[in-house]
Amino acid sequence: MTQREYDAIVIGGGHNGLVCAAYLARAGRSVLVLERRHVLGGAAVTEELYPGFKYSVCSYVVSLLRPEIIRDLSLPRFGLEILPLECSFTPQLEGHGLVRWPDADRTRREIAAFSKRDSEIYPEFGREMMKVGRMVKPILAMVPPDPSSLNPARLLEMLRLGRLFGELTEAERVLQAKMFTMSAIDFLDEWFEGDLLKATMGVSGIIGTFQGVRSPGTAYVLLHHYMGEIDGAFRAWGLAKGGTGAISNAIADSARNLGVEIRTDASVANIIVRGGQTVGVALEDGTEIRAKHVVSGVDPHRTFLGLCEATDLDSGFLAAIKKFKLRGSSGKVNLALDRFPEFACRPGVGPHVRGDMAIAPSVDYLERAFDDAKYGDFSRRPFMNIVIPSLTDPTVAPPGQHMMSIFVQYAPYELKEGPEAWPSKRDAFGDAVIDTLAEYCPTLKDSILHRQVLTPWDLQQEFGLTEGNIFHGELSLEQLFFLRPTPLWTRYATPIPGLWMCGSGTHPGGGIMGASGANAAQQILKKG
Amino acid sequence: MQYDIIIIGGGHNGLTTAALTAARGRKVLLLEGRDAPGGLAAGREFHPGYRSTGILHDTTSVRQSVIDALALESHGLRRRSEPAAVFAPQADGAGLLLSCDASKADGEIRAHSSGDADQYARFSEFLERVGGYIRRLLADPPPDISLTRLGQYIELFRKGWGLRRLGRETMYECLRIGPMCVQDWLDEWFENDLLKATLAAPALLGTWTGPRSAGTTALSLMQHSTARGEIAGGPAGLVAALVGACKAKGAEIRTGSTVKRIRVGTGCVLGVELESGESIDALCVASSIDPKRTFLDLLRPADLPIGLEVPMQNWRCRGTTAKIHLALSGPLEFASRPGDLFENIRIGESLTEIERAFDGVKYRELPVRPHLDMRVPTISDPTLAPEGHHVVSILVHFVPHDLDGGWTDERRDELLQSTLARLAAVSPSCVDRIAGHEVLTPVDIEREFGITGGHIHHGEHGLDQMFSLRPHPRCSRYKTSLPGLYLCGSGSHPGGGITCAPGELAATAMR
Repeated sequence: MTQREYDAIVIGGGHNGLVCAAYLARAGRSVLVLERRHVLGGAAVTEELYPGFKYSVCSYVVSLLRPEIIRDLSLPRFGLEILPLECSFTPQLEGHGLVRWPDADRTRREIAAFSKRDSEIYPEFGREMMKVGRMVKPILAMVPPDPSSLNPARLLEMLRLGRLFGELTEAERVLQAKMFTMSAIDFLDEWFEGDLLKATMGVSGIIGTFQGVRSPGTAYVLLHHYMGEIDGAFRAWGLAKGGTGAISNAIADSARNLGVEIRTDASVANIIVRGGQTVGVALEDGTEIRAKHVVSGVDPHRTFLGLCEATDLDSGFLAAIKKFKLRGSSGKVNLALDRFPEFACRPGVGPHVRGDMAIAPSVDYLERAFDDAKYGDFSRRPFMNIVIPSLTDPTVAPPGQHMMSIFVQYAPYELKEGPEAWPSKRDAFGDAVIDTLAEYCPTLKDSILHRQVLTPWDLQQEFGLTEGNIFHGELSLEQLFFLRPTPLWTRYATPIPGLWMCGSGTHPGGGIMGASGANAAQQILKKG
Repeated sequence: MQYDIIIIGGGHNGLTTAALTAARGRKVLLLEGRDAPGGLAAGREFHPGYRSTGILHDTTSVRQSVIDALALESHGLRRRSEPAAVFAPQADGAGLLLSCDASKADGEIRAHSSGDADQYARFSEFLERVGGYIRRLLADPPPDISLTRLGQYIELFRKGWGLRRLGRETMYECLRIGPMCVQDWLDEWFENDLLKATLAAPALLGTWTGPRSAGTTALSLMQHSTARGEIAGGPAGLVAALVGACKAKGAEIRTGSTVKRIRVGTGCVLGVELESGESIDALCVASSIDPKRTFLDLLRPADLPIGLEVPMQNWRCRGTTAKIHLALSGPLEFASRPGDLFENIRIGESLTEIERAFDGVKYRELPVRPHLDMRVPTISDPTLAPEGHHVVSILVHFVPHDLDGGWTDERRDELLQSTLARLAAVSPSCVDRIAGHEVLTPVDIEREFGITGGHIHHGEHGLDQMFSLRPHPRCSRYKTSLPGLYLCGSGSHPGGGITCAPGELAATAMR
């Protein structure tokens, strides 16, 4: 059965796919988005898994969503509301923990309880990070150049990049080089002495990666998380009102308003290629849909190893895609709670628990958590990033009850028994998380109404994220910028004419940023 | 009396700079604090009747251009045509004798994996293809990234163009693998654990990185690209030839002369002051000791060039290497290959095992199963020990400088025992033959050789401390921002190990 031909079909209704579709429709193209699941949003999704509780199942905070996308797609008009998460709390088993507040003076006093010197340097560090963030930002918005090309247009792009580098002062250049090559902790060691402060700051360097805080290259990812921007204010994190899915819904509504057609429960079986040219997709139910362009929002492994025929691609390209590392390293535990979980070191529902909380009591703790994962185990005592969205957004849980979102690292996809062992280890993993957290929140275990445990295996099976990688590919230096996902194919195009990539596996990578989707749309529109 | 150049520190790099500058007619004085020149490359009698050939023991990366420029062969230096094969023994199994020459290595690798044997030939081809470019990168001073002049942009462009000339695919491959960890890179090529461990290990020596640390592929590429034949007599053989060259070119060497500080007046270097109180004048001073000591200890804070104090305080140089010398009353024999003797041995059966040995350093603990890089210098030079006896030189990794609880004789002995346990597992006869031993921890190396942190490379080989960033962009081209002060040691590009390259490049910069 053949239907009408679209200008473009987007595979995957995650935020990047939707952004790409919206931009294409905005330029007058007819666009169809196909989502395998019954809900839109991919990993940016909200589901009611327990009556009255809205789970931000995977992704749970937002900050990197590009402001021009919010503007271009009028997302606030379609219901997007970001509630800022203003502080960051790191509890301790002994001691009062550390809270970093939006108020600089208050933060200084908190840090001074551990180290006076650190408290004085901390604001300066923030300013330096913003500076580097501003230097790197243009690179994030950029379509990656091709340093190997002798084409004048490409050379010009390289020159422009060179000029960007040339405009920096020497000190900034050194700082930038260091951020790209150092470990988060080595980098922080240059500034701070307090172990707890370094631990809690260092974790932003490892979120979603298969790296430890002492692994070289993680200082850059630290920056990635410093570049958050909400309403033009740097470094602010926020929650989407109504759960993360609200972001996807707003983008979807905006896209529909621009004329995009969106189908859920529509699983793509394969991409159809005729005579070396992409002509459409075939669904699992046998339906074939034709389109001039097919844009894949799913990860590179799924796109090329799952949806394409090997015969349509040359072996060199396939080998390069196989070398692209996905390696999920994190899991998620979501809890529905019948009361507020008190933190023993700072009891009460104060403002300190309204931000995000990190179980990161020391640098060694984090590094040992990574060591477990290196040898194929989940961390017995993991790093956690926790948000209780119901404190900020009462719509996600019944009155007096709470939703707790726990991002857990490390949970390596590749267990030493093999990834298939995950279902049998899921409960043990969930228990390790709850047991560790219960040391900080003694009443936690008694207050759990429902728990959802997502392992990397589940992220793969349920959300289609290969190896459970939340960023569609490791954010390591060799997989960034003009190397993401693979050399020569970083400009959203693929070796098959008419097939494009718009997911997080392309530059600039993961997080709810939307830049990959927007950049891909821009490249497709250039082609006509 | 005034010298043209005073060189601080008589290690292999200091000697290289001394000989090369003296050869150009400069009046050169080299000051060495110890009783004999050579530093980490000097041999020593560690047990009555037994001599080692140096704390470091690998001479495969010595720059041939230094040997040629100083005609070191006329001073007794002999170099082999290719590096000796490395034997990687196994506790259960025949082990692997790995030669750099793919055709010679084929049979040995095939015994472990036939797929890897085929791959090894391709791997060698790849290294051959990129080796020339990497050698040039290391042979030149690092590019000046101050980018204040057009010429500096052109230099950067030329570096890029050199890579591009290898072809688009090879260019991208280098950009891709450089920042990777050596484990991921070797996993792309090979399946056999022993082979991968044996190939990866040399790049990790002396560093605060394990096989899973990003950036170690770059180190591995550098090491593979520069490896050539060993020098007869090991590092001590090289030092003897360099000392001979210094004498022949007229460079004066004073041992037992520790420099207390570098004298500075009106914004330029005047000379040095020794511990003895003696002052010596010179037009310029080149320091081959580590950058941290050079800038923070030998210069008064007021004399330190602006902007260097904090970077030097942050210079990472946490030593991870211990050295053990064994005096054996007989040969070092391996259970799996009776009757065979090997000069070059690496004990570490998989990358995971090496990674676990590295883990301890992070928590300031001793490794349970250390990785051992060994040489038996008495095989080619029996005069180092009584007849029929042998010397075993072992670099032990990874050993923390800042051991939790501090270094004591008990902890030293613990390190010796874990090392011997590894050795005994592959060479049971060895333990009974031990007639004497010496253990040097990173703290001992720091104390005895005056290297901050006991770091054998004078500073971590991390991508943030290499090339134009070694030790800082303002002094990475050997000339510092303090007029008359130069750097010529391992803390400068291309870094540590016995290469003589920093010494040579510094001498060129002093023209």
